[in-house]
Amino acid sequence: MIEFAEVSKRYPNGQEALKRVNFELADGEMAFLTGHSGAGKSTLLKLICLMERATSGQVVVNNKNLNRTSRRKIPGVRRNIGMIFQDHRLLFDRTVFDNVALPLMIEGYPHREIGRRVRAALDKVGLLSKEKHSPIMLSGGEQQRVGIARAVVNKPPLLLADEPTGNLDPELSAEIMHLFEQFNQVGVSLLIASHDLSLIAQMHYRTLVMKEGRLVQDQVDSLEQDSEEVASE
Amino acid sequence: MSNDQLTGASLSQGATLSARLNMLVRLHKIEARRGILDILANPISNFMTVLVIAIALALPAGLQILLENGKSLSENWDGASRISLYLKSDLSQSKLLELADKVSQEPGVANVNIITQQQALDDFKQHSGFAEAIEQLDSNPLPPVLVVQPAVSHASPEASEIMLSQFKTYREVELAQLDLDWVRKLYAMLQLAEKAASALGVALALAVLLIVGNTIRLSVQNRREEIEVVKLVGATDAFIRRPFLYTGFWYGLLSGVTCWLILTISLLWLQDPVANLAGLYQSQFRISGLGWLQSFQLISASCVLGLLGSWLSVGRHIRQIEPR
Repeated sequence: MIEFAEVSKRYPNGQEALKRVNFELADGEMAFLTGHSGAGKSTLLKLICLMERATSGQVVVNNKNLNRTSRRKIPGVRRNIGMIFQDHRLLFDRTVFDNVALPLMIEGYPHREIGRRVRAALDKVGLLSKEKHSPIMLSGGEQQRVGIARAVVNKPPLLLADEPTGNLDPELSAEIMHLFEQFNQVGVSLLIASHDLSLIAQMHYRTLVMKEGRLVQDQVDSLEQDSEEVASE
Repeated sequence: MSNDQLTGASLSQGATLSARLNMLVRLHKIEARRGILDILANPISNFMTVLVIAIALALPAGLQILLENGKSLSENWDGASRISLYLKSDLSQSKLLELADKVSQEPGVANVNIITQQQALDDFKQHSGFAEAIEQLDSNPLPPVLVVQPAVSHASPEASEIMLSQFKTYREVELAQLDLDWVRKLYAMLQLAEKAASALGVALALAVLLIVGNTIRLSVQNRREEIEVVKLVGATDAFIRRPFLYTGFWYGLLSGVTCWLILTISLLWLQDPVANLAGLYQSQFRISGLGWLQSFQLISASCVLGLLGSWLSVGRHIRQIEPR
């Protein structure tokens, strides 16, 4: 699903965010990406959805080489990736329904199909009763779930999440993670950037650890033994 | 969530064409509505913008209407082109009448007026103020004159010119002259004014493009966050552009209608004074306003300018916004 080969990213201001990163995420695999802030997690995710481009190396997503993707093809790439952000990035001048419907509207789905899919996605995240609300009336956890519904509504094969539980209390965080597991069970690949080590430790999934732009650890199971060690760094 | 998860992205292609078309129409409706709501959300400042555009359009359009009225006025004066035939002085009274008769038989002649030598002299005495000096003269130096009024069908400069050369071949005619100069001057002035109106029109059309472009630029900046989000979920530039194009179109339409109102009210306001003035000159002339066709042209030109202005602006500014 995702393939990084010797990927480096240097920003125009000279900051080297990624240094020769190599990894692969298989189809249907779920993995965590962790490390201190500034370690390069966000940059890595941005390269996958073409918010940034690699300075060198190859990024292949969904069998498409992103180095050779023209500006005009970017929307096509993003439609196959569901993105979830720490700050949700919802549109506050529209209802919950309209927010979730956005990816489908963009792709020109028929009206009835949009209604069906949006309600299915909202039902999945437990917010079906709030479809007519404005996102501003919802709690932080609910807003995040609207963001998740929007990311999965067009059923993309890959979900990226950047600190999806960053602003949530542990209970809500666990709920969100549980949702991600459910998506993974039906074949969606997920890459979740998070520094919530205790949460990751409970989950028993592959974990990639970044430090100063390098991938320093690629643990196939979980960080259970190493979590304290990384946390104490 | 079922197992069609992975095939979901391609499902949309399976939808029937009519359903997709239906959705496109629906999307356009939504965006058209959002475009107008965008304008109405800020009624006062946006009304100012509409008014500025309307006035910029009303200037050249109003000038054009006045020019057209001026043209029709000068066309009404078909008496403008007259031909004066200065005859040889030794022509007898009977010969004069005979000639006048002959001239009036010529094709295209509406009417012939005879000015005898004596009449000419009396006229000259009366108007020139040289009465005393003329009294001193032994003989009348003025020739008899036939004033030929061409028929309306022959009043154009070209036709009059042909008639003139015809009269020049007459033996009795010393000098034939076409009194067209002032008509020509008026036409030349009207043409100049028309050119000036066109130039003003082009300049103000450019101004309208800039006003709309700038308004749309601000609107794009105000919705920066929204544009970033829709780009993140895979919107094409065309999709993002559409609501702004609608906003531009609405600006054009509202401005066009406002401009039409301004012109119609101004012309109504001028109607009475113009009729009064025309009455003093025994003329039936009435100022003519905007016809259906002209109104339609005005409003559609305004819509096109609005659309074009936003199109020129939006593409460039949307490109600059990339999600961070």
